[in-house]
Amino acid sequence: MKTMLPLLAADSMPEVGFGAILALGVFVIASVWISMLANYATRSGSFMKSFFLGNRGLGSWALALTATVQSGGTFMGFPSYVYAHGWVVALWICGYMVVPITGFGILGKRLAQISRMTGAITVPDLFRARFHSPALGLIASLLIMFFMTTMMIAQFKAGAIVMKLSFPGSGSLTLAEDAATQIDYAYFVGLAVFSLTVIGYTLLGGFLAAVWTDLFQSVMMWFGILFLLFLAVSATGGPEIATRTIMENPNIGPAYALAPGFNSNAAFPGNEFLPLGLAASMFGLWVFTGLGSPAGMVRIMACKDTGTIRRSIYLLAIYNAGIYLPLVVICVCGRALLPDVAKSDEIIPRLAIHLTSGLPAGSFLAGLILAAPFGAVMATVSSYLVVISSGLVRDIYQRFINPHANEYQLARLSYWVMGVVGLIAVLANISPPKFLQVIVVFSGSGAGASFMVPALMLAFWRRSTVPGMIAGMLVGGGTVVSLYFVEIFRGLALATLGGLASSFYGMFPAQQIGPAQAMRAYYLFGIDPLIWGLLTSLIAGVTVSLLTKPLPDEVTARFFEDQTEPVTSPA
Amino acid sequence: MSDTTLAAASPPKKPDPIYVSSRREALAVAATTTLAFLYTVIVCGWMGYGRDPKTLTFVLGFPDWIFWGIVVPWSVCVVVSLYLGATFMKDEDLGEDDTTGIDDDQEGGAA
Repeated sequence: MKTMLPLLAADSMPEVGFGAILALGVFVIASVWISMLANYATRSGSFMKSFFLGNRGLGSWALALTATVQSGGTFMGFPSYVYAHGWVVALWICGYMVVPITGFGILGKRLAQISRMTGAITVPDLFRARFHSPALGLIASLLIMFFMTTMMIAQFKAGAIVMKLSFPGSGSLTLAEDAATQIDYAYFVGLAVFSLTVIGYTLLGGFLAAVWTDLFQSVMMWFGILFLLFLAVSATGGPEIATRTIMENPNIGPAYALAPGFNSNAAFPGNEFLPLGLAASMFGLWVFTGLGSPAGMVRIMACKDTGTIRRSIYLLAIYNAGIYLPLVVICVCGRALLPDVAKSDEIIPRLAIHLTSGLPAGSFLAGLILAAPFGAVMATVSSYLVVISSGLVRDIYQRFINPHANEYQLARLSYWVMGVVGLIAVLANISPPKFLQVIVVFSGSGAGASFMVPALMLAFWRRSTVPGMIAGMLVGGGTVVSLYFVEIFRGLALATLGGLASSFYGMFPAQQIGPAQAMRAYYLFGIDPLIWGLLTSLIAGVTVSLLTKPLPDEVTARFFEDQTEPVTSPA
Repeated sequence: MSDTTLAAASPPKKPDPIYVSSRREALAVAATTTLAFLYTVIVCGWMGYGRDPKTLTFVLGFPDWIFWGIVVPWSVCVVVSLYLGATFMKDEDLGEDDTTGIDDDQEGGAA
């Protein structure tokens, strides 16, 4: 029998001191420097293509590590789930094993090709040009702006809170939505610093600044996690000893090592974190949100060539293998070493401080690991600022208001729009939304359900029609939104609408699966809303396309027929 | 000359080569993904759910069901990704960027 680990009391945990704020400073300075390089790199070519698409020059590293990696919000939630529920979270996240091949191998070449053939700069541009339909472009643009704006506003809150909590003496270490993260003076300072930094550097370098800072934080996070893995395994003697220690802990027990996972929330007795049906749909969730993400699709459109797409597949495969399973091992070791961390969101920073406390410059090393979520949030906000601004300038202004605008007018408007969009996000966060993590997953799922099937139809199905595409987008996104709203408004509806709501909710009985939290989705038949969204999007898109008149051959021919055949002249 | 005669006179065009290779690669990816999905869900469902904790063993530090259900297929997927990216997928010319700018396109889809 292997030896068990001594338990560390929660009140003996050290604080990080000035390490975190110093590391955040490093991230801010690095981001501004990167955006200045991006600004220099985007001075050639037309303004729109360079500012919003980086002149189609993305290389393999930039494409691999930024097109499908999830947002900062999602990344922060994952370690917390491992700490709380145990090994089963490896099953929750394991769809990432195929994300490198699905993210680039299915749509990559066709999106890159069609966007070049049509000169498309944005995702709505692509739909509009492929189907010759301004209405389709407008609907795509409005959907993207709805989901991306929701996601971006939530991310601003995350950035402000990470910055607030990094102040020495805050007593807390990471994103956690409770009384400790109340909206006060420090929150507003955090919001101001975060907003000025991220809006400033995005204005300076546009799309390339967003991508390069994303790349920078992804690389930092990879090395940080492998370093932490080494420290955590050394401290515990390995994941087996850590797991046996946890299984022997009377407050946790063997459920931590098995499926459907340990239920850590006493407020939700009997809740199952990951029943098998939900596990199966989670596999698809990571694949499809990556595939249908408009921000990811734009980056594929911006890649340099097909070699870039190919190399991105194996670079991302190696990157993902070094991130997700190591994080599971780290957090399991963390539970064994620090079994009583009150807020599970704090496990990575707490563990980083604990494991680096004896090392030279330990506080700064811990600070760098703490700063990684801040970098991830900055990168996410920056990329959404670019997508939303390009939607307003390219898809609305240039398409519908002033098609003959010159470079100077477009540049000036782009800077104004980006500044105003950022300001709106800041104003929305003066009274910030609650339940950040749910909003992030909701927006990602909604966008994925709206665009994945239509993107596949655009690339591979000549018979698809404009009404079919519109139906696929609206029905897919609508299904996800509905399944969230059914659950979110359950309490309110039952309290205010009486019998009518009771009979409606009789069809949707309360569930005890998924993350145990007050705001969550309704998992119809135990399946994640995204899967239902994709299914309904597919049915609607195909059915409506088959029932409507096909596009004329002259519209579709150039996308599906070889244009390089030699023209034989008459003898 | 009628449309039918025209159609008969012009031979069907070859499909776009990138469309053809993309479809082939997408099908290979879809097959790999389906296999990985089925394997993982079946093995984890069989070995991880409703399990007597006393029978749990460890392989290389991982609970046995995690090792066989997730670590092994994940490792295989890394190798498959290397094969698909380095060998199976073809490099092709994506063509020149259309630089004609904003066009006055018409509504092409019939309702």
